[in-house]
Amino acid sequence: MEKVKVEICCGTACYLLGAANMMNLEDQIPAEWRDKVEVEARTCLELCEKENLGGAPYVRINDTEIMAQATPEKLLTRIGELLGGAA
Amino acid sequence: MADLALNGQGPASDLFIEMEAAQFTKSGQAACGDDVRFLTVEKENRHLVALSDGLGSGVKANVLATMTTAMAIEFLKSNIPTLEAVEIIMDSLPICEVRKIGYATFSLFDFRLGGKARISEMGNPGYIHLRGVEEVPPLKDGQIASEHWPDREVRECEVDFRAGDRIIMCSDGVTQSGLGVRKDMKFGWRRSGVLAFARERIAREPDISAKDLSQAIAREALNITPGGCKDDISCAVVYLRHPRVMRVLTGPPYYKEHDAEYARQALLGPDHVVACGGTTANILERELGVKVKVRLADMKTAGGLPPIGTMEGVGIATEGILTLGKVLSALEQMRPPEREPAAARAILERMMRHDRIEFVIGTKVNESHQDPNIPQDLELRRSVVKRIAAALEKNYRKKVALNFY
Repeated sequence: MEKVKVEICCGTACYLLGAANMMNLEDQIPAEWRDKVEVEARTCLELCEKENLGGAPYVRINDTEIMAQATPEKLLTRIGELLGGAA
Repeated sequence: MADLALNGQGPASDLFIEMEAAQFTKSGQAACGDDVRFLTVEKENRHLVALSDGLGSGVKANVLATMTTAMAIEFLKSNIPTLEAVEIIMDSLPICEVRKIGYATFSLFDFRLGGKARISEMGNPGYIHLRGVEEVPPLKDGQIASEHWPDREVRECEVDFRAGDRIIMCSDGVTQSGLGVRKDMKFGWRRSGVLAFARERIAREPDISAKDLSQAIAREALNITPGGCKDDISCAVVYLRHPRVMRVLTGPPYYKEHDAEYARQALLGPDHVVACGGTTANILERELGVKVKVRLADMKTAGGLPPIGTMEGVGIATEGILTLGKVLSALEQMRPPEREPAAARAILERMMRHDRIEFVIGTKVNESHQDPNIPQDLELRRSVVKRIAAALEKNYRKKVALNFY
């Protein structure tokens, strides 16, 4: 299975609105998923300037999917779905 | 726009004088009994240093040393003849009840760019003048004596101080370190030991800054003495050199058409460039074809600020306004970089290593910063950078340039 790629926006707005809580996301991922998930920090995804995307903090999953108002819990749920309950 | 400098090296005509000191206080004392003071008289392109060791140690010595450097710097600045200055200083120092004398040593350095330097010393170890690793003798070397204080001889030297030269001045806490406690150093480290150490350090690191060299010498003096600092240790280093230029790019240009020219300002060599801001980093990625990489470990140890990224061959990238805000408060309060969150620390350490700091500021306002949900007020980039510039000039004697896009 392809790894799930998670890009966390670390721009000012995202960081202040919750990305700070995701800096240790890697440690929050259950051990059995760790080699199936790739976490990256991005300097800025430039999504906060666009309207109607749902609000910061933003996370990009697998290059195309955008999660607005991301939280570690929401992200972990979504990663679980993408891994098809592989846990 | 300023001329593009290469590899952090400014134009030859633009010399910079770096003046730094490192000190350790005698174990058990609340105050250092030595004092070092610097002054730059911009209008005259003139640079002054005074280093003094007060009689005894602790607060009493500190008062003597501080009075001496404060008076000496003012007298130098006002061109009062050395002998007259020394007499006024000696007449003014409070008399120690125990020793019945008022005494503080001094080393004074007075230099005008493009001219010769004058060094006056009384009671301190002799200065060291190095050109590369070679010691340079003075052009003139003489003694003057005061009628009031016949036992206090002042040595006065004229020195040919050129680009690339260093002057090292220290208190006897440096040259006498190890004295009495180290069998291999019957008379302590001595001036010859300091000289050999400095030459060896410069041979290994020919561009070593005045700050690093002064710290290395002071630390070595401390290391030589087992069981803590036996005397106050002070070492001042003056280094005349071509300025080390650093560039901080922050914020997107007001006009997008200027992005390419803006990004070219980042081509100064990776040790000299910082991009502050997510959009800024994105512009450099796009215009210069680089990629910002953030290590996972850096995300975990970011310490309350977004993590640092690296742009291979270009420099480092940090978040913008929060990081600059931390940099500003550290500079204004003169906090050491070591205790700051990683990104602020990285910028501060780079600033300390450079002499001239050029800010390239994009003036476009980031709309997302106006989001009412953001839990704190975000200052405007332009005003934060202006305050950083003022703090760098005032507190750290840096040259600063601001270029707006």
